[in-house]
Amino acid sequence: MAETQAFRPSPFLDPGPVAEADSLAVLHLRRDLQIPTLLREQDEQQEGYDEGKVTNTRFGSFPHSTLIGVPWGSQVRASAVDTGSRGRRGNGKASKGEKRKRDGDGLEEEAGAKRIKKEVKANENSTVTPDRPGMTPTPKAAVTASTGFIHILPPTPESWTTSLPHRTQVVYTPDYSYILHRLRARPGSVLIEAGAGSGSFTHAAARAVFNGYPSSPNATPSPRAPQQPSLGRVHSFEFHAQRHSHLLTELSMHGLSPLVHLHHRDVCASGFQPPSQPPLNATAIFLDLPAPWLALKHLTRSSPPNSKPHPPSPQPTTPSTTSPPEAEFRSPLNPHSAIHLCSFSPCIEQVQRTISTLRHLGWHSISTDEISAKRLETRRERIGLQEEGLRGVNPSAATVDEAVTRLREVEGRTKGFYADDGAAGVTGGGATGPAAGAMSGLSKQQRLEKIREGLAERKVWKEGRLVCRAELELKTHTSYLVFAVLPMEWTEEDEERARERWGMKKAAREREGGVEGAVMVEVEADVKGESDVKMEGNVKVEADVKME
Amino acid sequence: MHAIIFPNVYVALRLPSDTLKVLQIVPNTTISIGKYGTFQANHILGRPYHLTFEILDETDDSVRSGLRIVPAAELYADITEGELKTSAGIDDGKVIDGKDGVEYEVVTENGEVVMRTNCQTVDDPASQVMSQEEIEALKREGTGSGKDLIAKILESHSALDQKTAFALAKYTLRKAKKYMRRFTVLPVDVPLLTHWIMTEKEPMKIMELREEMLALVGSWSNVHFGGSNGVYSREDGTGQVGGGRWLIVDETGGLVVAAMAEKMGILYPPESDQPSELIQTVHEEFEDGDTDIANGAAEDHSSGKNQSAQSNRPKPTRQSLSMSAPTNTLTVIHANSQPNLSLLKYFLFDSTNPSSSHPLNSHLKTVSWLQLLSPSDDAGYAEPEVVPDDILKSYKSGKRGNYYRKRRRWERIKSVVDESRAGGYDGLIVASFMDPFTILHHAVPLLRGGAQVVVYSPNVEPLAELADCYSTSRRTAFLNNPLEVPNEDFPLNPTLLLAPTIQTARCRNWQVLPGRTHPLMTGRGGAEGYIFTATRVLPAEGKVEARGRFKRRKAGDIGKGYEASSKQDPVNSITGQTEAI
Repeated sequence: MAETQAFRPSPFLDPGPVAEADSLAVLHLRRDLQIPTLLREQDEQQEGYDEGKVTNTRFGSFPHSTLIGVPWGSQVRASAVDTGSRGRRGNGKASKGEKRKRDGDGLEEEAGAKRIKKEVKANENSTVTPDRPGMTPTPKAAVTASTGFIHILPPTPESWTTSLPHRTQVVYTPDYSYILHRLRARPGSVLIEAGAGSGSFTHAAARAVFNGYPSSPNATPSPRAPQQPSLGRVHSFEFHAQRHSHLLTELSMHGLSPLVHLHHRDVCASGFQPPSQPPLNATAIFLDLPAPWLALKHLTRSSPPNSKPHPPSPQPTTPSTTSPPEAEFRSPLNPHSAIHLCSFSPCIEQVQRTISTLRHLGWHSISTDEISAKRLETRRERIGLQEEGLRGVNPSAATVDEAVTRLREVEGRTKGFYADDGAAGVTGGGATGPAAGAMSGLSKQQRLEKIREGLAERKVWKEGRLVCRAELELKTHTSYLVFAVLPMEWTEEDEERARERWGMKKAAREREGGVEGAVMVEVEADVKGESDVKMEGNVKVEADVKME
Repeated sequence: MHAIIFPNVYVALRLPSDTLKVLQIVPNTTISIGKYGTFQANHILGRPYHLTFEILDETDDSVRSGLRIVPAAELYADITEGELKTSAGIDDGKVIDGKDGVEYEVVTENGEVVMRTNCQTVDDPASQVMSQEEIEALKREGTGSGKDLIAKILESHSALDQKTAFALAKYTLRKAKKYMRRFTVLPVDVPLLTHWIMTEKEPMKIMELREEMLALVGSWSNVHFGGSNGVYSREDGTGQVGGGRWLIVDETGGLVVAAMAEKMGILYPPESDQPSELIQTVHEEFEDGDTDIANGAAEDHSSGKNQSAQSNRPKPTRQSLSMSAPTNTLTVIHANSQPNLSLLKYFLFDSTNPSSSHPLNSHLKTVSWLQLLSPSDDAGYAEPEVVPDDILKSYKSGKRGNYYRKRRRWERIKSVVDESRAGGYDGLIVASFMDPFTILHHAVPLLRGGAQVVVYSPNVEPLAELADCYSTSRRTAFLNNPLEVPNEDFPLNPTLLLAPTIQTARCRNWQVLPGRTHPLMTGRGGAEGYIFTATRVLPAEGKVEARGRFKRRKAGDIGKGYEASSKQDPVNSITGQTEAI
């Protein structure tokens, strides 16, 4: 566990050159099948493999001893692991058990995600030192199997998003990338995430705001000395106890706990700012809540307005009933910065209420977007009579010429059949089967045989037409993204001060008689605005409420 | 970051017409925004971003005239009024189905509810009785920043009462866009710059790279702050592995470089945290050298931080720092003798004359394809003659300075070229019109295992061909018969990249108003924009056979025979495992 060891950077942020023990690694089986695994030198679960800790996949078994220490990105061969007899250990039976293997593989793999969780729990419970004499025998050296491999990759928020154990709906890469982009989540930002859920966004956000670990990385995130340059930090809120504890374990396993401060708290009821902690100083906020408008009242510069903030709300009593008396309201927002907010809601009604509340609370530049993303697959579309009997191709005629040739051939054979009554011999259904030009006179069987033989010579990977199409299952709607900006608070006194400074300067300049004061910055005439006005049907109604 | 407006930075003004104007805020200048009027730069300096200002009518009182900050409540007055009306309607119970905010008229005889429509509306340009001349005259008289004028225009519309609520709202908004003398000041950052160029400038210059695609590039490339990354030397000691270093091929004028630099925290000169640094930059550019005001403005929000930050940082000379950072770097490979990074000027960075205090100065490295592939042909890589000290002393100071400058330039080029040729980079980002095959052929070997490759293209075809290069069948054919790449069949080594994927994303904007929620009706066409992503892997030595064939083949499928006929062939045995790699 990260706490008990010397500090090591998160493998998400700096994986180092090789896969190390106790680091999270992604075993890449296929594009959509990746198994995140915590690499262990010892098998804490005592699963009984001779090789020590082993991860079984459908492509073979991989003792961790073959994974630890290899450069990231390496292709790793499977090992011949005795997966069958370990339950019967002691009986002296050491049969290979190859036949049972396949079933086992499937199960293990499905349980891939659960397995990590189990591992974590096991690790927590076992307070044993790595070298337990007598208990853990020295692992046997792994023997390379004849087939099977995986690639071992360093974890990224993207691979974690595709392989994480689902607890709630996941914010996928196209959405979170755009959200973080619009939230201006940059190194050094302090981001609030409410509704941590499965932790997909949490990981991406931690990467986005990361600009160094706190100076005492082993300690849990503690109040920083105020003079330190601001370090990026994610404050993640989750009110569901189990999800909270799962995410907590994950974050510590992933080396992200110094960067992500996970709060177990219901933000709608009790707000964001923990009472006994220094101000969060957030500059960006991501709300993934069922009723984000209830949380918005806690995201203000000063004490939340007690007058009902959203008149169209049918239940105007919800605020202030659950929250404690707001005697000492402390804003979780950074007072010296504009605040960017994103609310992630699947339903348009949620969006409408959220926006209505945002307007009442004085947020600017409110806009609503929706991201639709798709993955494309490329393939070679092979069409033609030469493809007969092969898989994944279209064995119909590729051109008119090919069709005509075939028709002519069939015609000729029919003629021959009638001319030489019954002498056709080995036709074997030839009357119905098509044939390419060179194949005339062959039976279907012979023809197919010939095609198959010819296949070895062909470079099918560059034959046919290259086409591109969307993957079969599309996510056509994930959620609406509501963005808004809360400008820095600017009082009349601030304005007076600024006016004095910049006004004085100007006056002084003019008194000196400098001509520079009269420099004119011309901005090209606003021709586009004129033409916009004429487009009646497409007028965007929100004047201020557009994109920034 | 981007808290208040500093002198000489670039800002964007959002005008009532929803257009953006990007300009540099030079103190003591007058800024004209066309028909909306003019204002003094000093009236927005030192103020926070994201505020909406109103240009006040000119009065004799020079203190009062200028700008007024429009409170949010006023911005949304129309909308919230509409909401109240709507909800009031529900409470009354008089109006059925009023929830959607549509205005109805109740027909009294049988209690039927009839919606007011535009059935009776007659299109007549004469409905507006006020002439353009009259409007101009009113404008000259002073219009209460456009509000009074708009009210008058509405008053003089003879058929206003025939309009439905929506039509009226649209009409008012149209007039507001034309006559309201307001603007909002926004910071120029990567999202804004992208949006601005895509919607109002020349999208072709940035390869029509939409914001959502740029965001996607940023995520998949796994670019992040790498300043705390360890510096690991390779096993054979020939170079570095990782260290938060990324390779970029950018033909978007520096937009992709800017976006990645933003993610690495090296795009903006330090501002809110250490205002003194920015003041320093400003200082350099401030001709009259009067920085009292600049400092004063910063002090508002950074009381006391200035001194400590300033004293901690010795001011290094420009030459010693340039392109010298060991970690958290971007290396741009460019096709011309100089990289085109012109868009970085909006972030106060000029690649031909970098300011020493800008983080890009040390963290952005540039190398040409010639230097990368054949450094001996590049004049800059050839070591200039070493002059012994005693001869050097006899040089005139100008000549000596010149000598040192040449030496430093050579040292810089040599170190960057050697570093890039040694490879070990954490990722590759490509947005280029060049053939991606040729780029990847040379750049992929420079990546460490596990590095991400992202190639952006406005069109899908180049990426489809690229993905096809890494197709399963081609890969297996290559494994079977490895040849020197590139060749006709294998333009790239198909075993070096894993999980090649093409994807795209598109953002749809919605209008959300009481009773009038729908997606915007127009959007931008043109290039769709796609990215190709893959992971650099290190193939195992020797032949590796796959296993598993989990996709059920139909019994009696003739294809089975085909597999049986070439059992020895790993092309076939591998299909099961690598089917969807």
